This record gives sequence, C-alpha cells and structure tokens, in this order.
Amino acid sequence: MSFRKPKPSTANPLPVLPIVASLVLIAFLLLPTLVVLERGVGAGFAGAWLNPVVLEALRVSLVTTAITLGLTVILGTPVAYLLARYRFLGHTLLDTLLDLPIVLPPVVAGVGLLLTFGRQGLLGAPLEMAGISLAFSPAAVVMAQLFASAPFFIRAAKAGFMAVDRDIEDAARIDGASNLQVFGFITWKLSFAFLLEGLVLTWARALGEFGATILFAGSLIGSTRTITLSIYAALESDLNPALVLSAVMVFVAFGLLFMVRVLTKNRSF
Amino acid sequence: MRKIKPLFIPAVLSALFFAPVSGQQGTNLTVFAAASLTDSFTEIGKAFDAKMGGKTNFQFAGSQVLRTQLENGAKADVYASANNAQFDPLVKAGLISSGTIFTKNRLVVIVPKKGAGNVKTLSDLAKPGVKLVIADKTVPVGQYTRQILETLGKSNKFGADYTARVLKNVVSEETNVRQVALKVQLGEADAGVVYTTDVTPSLASTVIQIAIPARYNVVAKYPIGILKNSSNMDAAKAFTDFVLSRDGQAILGKWGFLPVAGSKLP
Repeated sequence: MSFRKPKPSTANPLPVLPIVASLVLIAFLLLPTLVVLERGVGAGFAGAWLNPVVLEALRVSLVTTAITLGLTVILGTPVAYLLARYRFLGHTLLDTLLDLPIVLPPVVAGVGLLLTFGRQGLLGAPLEMAGISLAFSPAAVVMAQLFASAPFFIRAAKAGFMAVDRDIEDAARIDGASNLQVFGFITWKLSFAFLLEGLVLTWARALGEFGATILFAGSLIGSTRTITLSIYAALESDLNPALVLSAVMVFVAFGLLFMVRVLTKNRSF
Repeated sequence: MRKIKPLFIPAVLSALFFAPVSGQQGTNLTVFAAASLTDSFTEIGKAFDAKMGGKTNFQFAGSQVLRTQLENGAKADVYASANNAQFDPLVKAGLISSGTIFTKNRLVVIVPKKGAGNVKTLSDLAKPGVKLVIADKTVPVGQYTRQILETLGKSNKFGADYTARVLKNVVSEETNVRQVALKVQLGEADAGVVYTTDVTPSLASTVIQIAIPARYNVVAKYPIGILKNSSNMDAAKAFTDFVLSRDGQAILGKWGFLPVAGSKLP
C-alpha cells in the first residue's frame, strides 16, 4: 500500500458541509470565551484590581497552587522515574490507576477526600490525635488540587524520562557517576521540556479546581476561597468581580496553552 | 453503509432532541425555588401534577443564584424566593408582576451528633476554636444568620463582643443552605446555622438542634410570583394557588414551615 497526498484538483468542489459544520462548532467554542473577555474587561477591569474580593482570591489561588506545584515536583518526580525506569509486579495496573484522578469527576474526588481525611473519615481520628485539622484549611485546598492535578505531571514526566537515551545515562555511569548524579545532570536536564509541560498542565488543572475544593475545603475569603470559588460566590451577588476574575482566567488559560505549544515544539530530540 | 447522506445524521439527531419526551397531557411547568424548599416543593409538585396531569420541573438553588439566572434570561414560570431581597429586584426589573408571601421559616443552630460536641448552647458558638459554618451574606439564610447574631450580641446575655467572637469562628461561608447542613452532617463543622425546615427526617438522625429563642430569631418570609414572560400563565397561576391552598400549606407545614394567610406584597 502506498499513501499519496491527494492532488489538489479544480474538479474537487469546495467542502461546504465540513466548513459550515466547523464554523458552527468554532463559533460555539470561542464565542463564550470572547464574551467573558469582553464583559470582564468592560466591567472596570482596572478598578476591580483594588477590590479585596479579587485580590484575596488571586492571593489564595497563587499561594495554594504554588505549594501544590512544589509538592507535585517533590513527590511526583520519583513516581514518574520509577514507572519509566523499572518494571515491577503491577506496573501496568499502577500506571493506569494513577491516571484515575484525571478521569474522575472532581466532586467524587471531594467526597473521597472527605471520607478519608475528614474529621469523621478513615484517617480523621489519627489526624486529630496528631493535632492536625485539615477541615476548612488552605491545606485542604492544596490536597484537593494535588489530588486532581498531580497525575498530569506524573504522565508528562514519565514520558520525558522514557524519551531520554539510556546510552547517555549508562555512559555517565561507566564514568563513575552515581545514580543521583546521572539523574541530576542528565535525565532531569534532557527531559526538562517534558517536565515543564507537565508542570504547566498541573498548574492549569490546580488553578481551575472547583468541585473537590468546595466540598472538602469550604469557601472563606482569604483562606480557602480560590479564584474559581470566588467567581462562583461573586456571580450570586456582585457580578463585576466575577467577570474580572473570569477574564483573568481566560488570559491565564491562553498563556498556559501558548506555553505548552512552545514547549512541545521545542522538544526536538 | 457507505452511502449514508451526511445530512441524514443531523436530521436524526435533531429529531431525537426535539421529539416530545412523552405523550403527557397537561403542561410542563418550570419552577425556580429556594434551596430550602427542596423537599416541600418536590412533594407539592407531585401532588400538583397528580391533580392537574402536567409535569412540574423544579430548579432548586440559593435564591441569589436563581435571581441572577432569571435576570440573565433563564426561562421559568414561577419563582419562589427565601426572602424579599432576592425577589424585589425582579419585580423592579419588570420580570415579575407581584409577589405573595406563601410561607414563613425560622432558623436553628445544628451540631453533629457524632464527634467532639463542644457546642451545646448558643454561647458556646463564641468559644475559641469552634468551627462554625454559615451561609454567605449574599444568601438569604446567611443574611438572617448575621441578623440573629447581632440581636444575640445586643442582648448582653452572652457578653459584649459575642457577635464578633462568633463571626471569628466562621470557617466557611457556603453559597447554599444545604451545603451548610451537609458540612455539619459530615461532622466537618462543629456547628452551623440553617432553617428549621432544613432539619429533615434524614438530617435529624445525624444532628442535634439548638433552638434560637423566638425573641432573638427572625421570621423568614418567602415570596412567590409568576414570571411575566411565562408561556404557561394559567398553569403557573394554578401552581401558586395550589401552594397557597390548604393542601399546599399542609405539605409546607409537614416539612416544618410556618403557615401564612396569603398576603399581597407591597
């Protein structure tokens, strides 16, 4: 079998139906985003930045997602490394199960976190004895974000580690490099674009987390009310902060998307 | 198989979408109702449908959510709010002609049966470290909660800075009264403030109620009205009449609501 590019021919009529169908869906996908942007910028975009509701929401989201990213890198990198470099009993099963939070509805994640780490949950009593109270704390926000977003990093990092040429690692080992040195100087650096892409995706998911957070962490200005929760709460009283925060999210989303594009393009090896 | 006309698929899809769900007699009615009315209105809907042979659909949410949705063009026939503040703006905007108070409600403090139980009285709400969950100030019940806390603070029975100390214990401001109840039910919160009607039979088995004396309590008045752009004016009128009828009031009473003699709003 041979595949040949179809020759452009004048006899081939314009694909009217696909074009019309595409336009409908494209308009459907882009119009709401543009309207949010337009209304958000129109709703006194500059003035709303001084609104404590907006500022507090941004602060809570930035702090919690930063901690989530840190934890994801520290705890997720070893998992991805083990999955990429070693074969063990249950490897495939574990690999699949770790993707579960990506597919799971966020509300289910929230219920799961509550039933596990809540005060009446599985680990509630031991945690209470240790003097740890997660309910309604920013820590609960971080846990909800970590649960929902860490798998994105693990996936990308695993793909990155697998793409690194093992011969380079082995060569370094022969030259007397320790495992940690090999990882730090070779594996990490060569898969950096993948890791960064994973981080961007993780951040995007953490920033947008809503269902698990509202259930597990509650909603209090300056403590657990993130951007998404703030949009939800503001929608019900004062529309302006909600519109401004929504516009901010559109900008951030576009920026993240752009970053992912650039990163995946630069993956030349 | 190969020669299915592309137009065939959209045609089938649209037929599926726009086909009537069932061959029911009577009209379809859409009722937007405050979250606190979830149980009582569901039952009223069943009784009303049995009587009229139509199908009444409900959307339950915080009144402020419903108001925003209606302001932005959501289609409904009847709107029942938990307070006037989330109802009057719709009258002023010309979306609803007028409202009638159809029921009343009071507030109560609930604490989880299981767990530490460090809240036993109203004054305990001010104890440091108590995790209190209330509704956001934009939600009617959240507004009432703050009103009651102010009254309790002014009574001098609980100490001068009672209100401030209680509000300091608030760990979450929920956007819906049922979320407040849920968090107490799950034992995550030490206490919450909800409507007496939120303590449904299923909730009553998991929480303990701490009554708020009538002189500190508020009487929440619920207005109901018909949307001006309703396409089922007659059915909508029949529904509001049914809510105000003896049968309707009896169902509301069963779920803990206080009866009213129907009175037109100013």
